[in-house]
Amino acid sequence: MRRFLILYLLTSSALFSSCAVKTVKGLEAKTPKVTAYPVTYFSNLETDYVYKAHIAIYGKDFGGIFIAKKVNDTLYRAAFTTEFGNKLFDFEITDDSFKVNYILEELDRKIIVNTLKRDFMLLLKTKHNVAQQYEDDKDIIYKCSDGGRYNYLFVNKDNGRLSKIVNATKSKEKIVVNFNEENNILAKNIVIDHKNIKLKITLNYIQ
Amino acid sequence: MKNSAFYVLFLFSAMVTFAQEQKMSAAEITTFKNAVNATAKSTKTLTTDFVQYKHMDFLSKDIETSGKMVFKAPGMLLWQYTKPYQYSVVFKNNKIVINDAGKKSEMNVGNSKMFAKLNKLIVGSVSGDMFDENEFTISYFKTAEHNITKLVPKDAALKKYIKQMELNFDKKGNTVAQVKMTEPSNDYTTIVFKNKATNAQVPDSVFTN
Repeated sequence: MRRFLILYLLTSSALFSSCAVKTVKGLEAKTPKVTAYPVTYFSNLETDYVYKAHIAIYGKDFGGIFIAKKVNDTLYRAAFTTEFGNKLFDFEITDDSFKVNYILEELDRKIIVNTLKRDFMLLLKTKHNVAQQYEDDKDIIYKCSDGGRYNYLFVNKDNGRLSKIVNATKSKEKIVVNFNEENNILAKNIVIDHKNIKLKITLNYIQ
Repeated sequence: MKNSAFYVLFLFSAMVTFAQEQKMSAAEITTFKNAVNATAKSTKTLTTDFVQYKHMDFLSKDIETSGKMVFKAPGMLLWQYTKPYQYSVVFKNNKIVINDAGKKSEMNVGNSKMFAKLNKLIVGSVSGDMFDENEFTISYFKTAEHNITKLVPKDAALKKYIKQMELNFDKKGNTVAQVKMTEPSNDYTTIVFKNKATNAQVPDSVFTN
């Protein structure tokens, strides 16, 4: 009976760990000390956040200019142009809404729009409701619900800044956003890396 | 009171605009077109610096980028941004070669009618050779310093990208001083050329990317 119980425990824990997302594997879940985490990047209403963008998708490379601008307390504009200035898309984004103001006809495919929507809503989300809290050597990690998925926010213990967001299902990491920050309201270098498709967006601040 | 002051200001600025920009007469158009075509024909090479301003309605200020442009007849063009990043495009032999801070990519213009048109538009707006009445509805204006052409695309595909191209020509020299490209959304890109030099020696090797 005891041997059976050990075997049961072993297999179930193996099953459990293979299902659990690797983001916080081995870390202890704690009751969160905060109910919400406010992201302060892109938060200045006076600043045009202009980035040189590089998109690598399935072996092809594209360049362009990415612009994010906080228009009022809740609303962002997120636009993308070529280096020559031609606009490729222009979105209006809040924490829970998304509107296409413009998208180039060639890019107007459901799969493209949905990918861009998920990426930029994640990047510009201002308030994350914290469900659980973890901690490793470097970071405090907030687990936040986001639709059917979760966002894991890595906040550096030394400087208190958000360094990474991992968007994941219950078992798999889908999108990882890395911030290399200049200060609390400006991330100089941002990398949005997709784990399920070969898509990587790199943004370098230019203005 | 405040309103009427605004109204007067508005009227005044409208009058100034009218005073500045006048429609050309038919005779002036012919003279201007001939002069530009003659200049375009005699332009074997052109090197110039440029500053590009991208205007979008929601931005607090225009996005400014700058660099240099080299053109060699009949159709070689280098468009190089050096500030605030390195990015260059070479148009040559129906190909576009892009160098994005060391990352290179190539496109065949010959395969795409749209790219061929854009290529012609870019080369044309630099050399001034763009009075194609089949492609554009063109109107002509003048100010004290500039002759101005406003081109509205006729082609439905091009119309989706460009609402209007406005080319300002220096009255002296008849070369393009400024290009303004307005998108269907009314956001626009302005490119101002300066330090222009025509017919200097330009080796073909400039157009490698």
